[in-house]
Amino acid sequence: MKPCAFEYLAPGSVPEVMDLLQQYGDQAKILAGGQSLVPIMNFRLARPEVLIDINGLKELAYIREEADELVIGALTRERELELAPLVRLKCPLLPEAISHIGHPTIRNRGTIGGSLAHGDPSAEIPIAIYALDGTIRTLGPDGESAFKPEEFFLTYLTTCLEPSQIVMEVTVPVLPDGTGWSFVELSRRSGDFAIVAVATVLFMDDNGACTEARICMGGVASTPVRAKAAEDILSGQILSDALVAEAGRLAVEATDPESDYHASADYRRAMTEILVRKALRRAWEKTRGGK
Amino acid sequence: MRLEGKYKFDASQERVWEVLTNPRHLEKAIPGCERLQESEPNKYDALLKVGIAAVKGTFTGKFEVADPDPPQQYRLVGEGSGSSGFVKGEATIHLTAANEQTLVDYHGEMQIGGLIAGVGQRMLGGIAKMMLNQFFKRMGNELKSSK
Amino acid sequence: MAGRRPIKVKVNGIEYEGYVEPRKLLVDFLREDLELIGTHTGCEHGVCGACTVLFNGKSVRSCLMFAVQADGADIMTIEGLSDGKTLHPIQEAFREHHGLQCGYCTPGMLLTSYELLQENPAPTEDEVKTAVSGVLCRCTGYKQIVDSVMAAADAMRK
Repeated sequence: MKPCAFEYLAPGSVPEVMDLLQQYGDQAKILAGGQSLVPIMNFRLARPEVLIDINGLKELAYIREEADELVIGALTRERELELAPLVRLKCPLLPEAISHIGHPTIRNRGTIGGSLAHGDPSAEIPIAIYALDGTIRTLGPDGESAFKPEEFFLTYLTTCLEPSQIVMEVTVPVLPDGTGWSFVELSRRSGDFAIVAVATVLFMDDNGACTEARICMGGVASTPVRAKAAEDILSGQILSDALVAEAGRLAVEATDPESDYHASADYRRAMTEILVRKALRRAWEKTRGGK
Repeated sequence: MRLEGKYKFDASQERVWEVLTNPRHLEKAIPGCERLQESEPNKYDALLKVGIAAVKGTFTGKFEVADPDPPQQYRLVGEGSGSSGFVKGEATIHLTAANEQTLVDYHGEMQIGGLIAGVGQRMLGGIAKMMLNQFFKRMGNELKSSK
Repeated sequence: MAGRRPIKVKVNGIEYEGYVEPRKLLVDFLREDLELIGTHTGCEHGVCGACTVLFNGKSVRSCLMFAVQADGADIMTIEGLSDGKTLHPIQEAFREHHGLQCGYCTPGMLLTSYELLQENPAPTEDEVKTAVSGVLCRCTGYKQIVDSVMAAADAMRK
């Protein structure tokens, strides 16, 4: 189908975007990559009266290293993040997660800010950012704000962004040498939406014990979720097969999946346990110098 | 799609029955309900504006409070259609007194068709659950404010 | 309010001027306004790949862009792959290795492969499979497509 008619505006600066959002409120939608918005416009499920195209705001696309963080502009394309040597070296979980998003052609346009603002609980970027405990910076009429993922993602396709606010920037930590990480996804075909996806980060000390574990899961609730109980049993421990198995089991308790025609809730729960174990094993391998 | 759940209200069974079957309170509690008008006894025409993020739709629909067995049970039957698709559902709602509170449990079936069913399948179960939670929360507010 | 806008787009090296409603999809502008019907519409939501074109050198789903976004852009469609007289080595390889049957996905396959071979001139079979999995083919079962791209890679490295 073809989209409904809309007013198209292409502001040249961030202050202009702010003015337009204040003016139009929830009649307007931001057009960034368009890889999630335009499909629902083509179906006429979304019929924004106004589209504010921010693709001209090149100043919002950047990747920088500052202290022990990577600072990424909201308009940075997924494909660029996937291939950037700086990101692959300093925060390799992010490019790995991004490589599972659709196909390269989609990633050529999709942006990190757009993916976060869209708030799909099965989407790879929200899952990775939550596992990395990243910070999402926004701009609104009242100025800048910063949110942690647990505050930012409210429910299906809903974030705490007001109609007058946009995502400006995301920061993620530079992962220390020896940190384990992994991203594992189950989908029917490569490039499909995740049925279940798991991102893990394992911070290690010099004695080979895990100081802090992060396990973030997608496709199993109305937002990406962290498996806190599973994380807790790994923290401060030397890893073992038994601990990994127990973590997998505990992770299922943090899920609240729905059934749909892709997979039943039971299947998602069963796959959560399997994928968490697989993801932890892979992350653990990395701490021991594996690839 | 199957729907079932429970909710506890801080009110007597009679009061909860009254609020759950009263169109004035139903209109305020049903998420997105702009208008609920009685067409025949226990039958209502409704206008609903439902949306999640960018996907918004207007539905016109009909509800019926069927087989009322006050104050313990009734069936709620409804259907609606709009540009994004159609919804049809039926639930049995059962009330039980528990000291000063009332336990409401419901179970039913919902069919969703049209565009949202084709494209939005991944979200539907979660959205239905969300709307039901919203409905009961608002009903709780209706009970408090109509004391 | 939603009235037409003037746009200037370079497509396959030729400058065009258009006058489009904002809601006009790039794929429809190419097909209807420019009569370049080699780019196909399939799903209109970005998953089938039949609408793939190169936009400022990068592959995009033209069904997920609006023509107004192409103002000032440099686009290559399938019509721009050969020079009009000689087939591009990728096209030649698809011809030789039966990389198409009905031809509907073919423009998407060719441009996706073109981008792959630009970025990775010596891909493995797995890398080719990953790249072309973004374009849906209902006819060939993909084997001949993968063979074609591998052959094209060989030919282009010579």
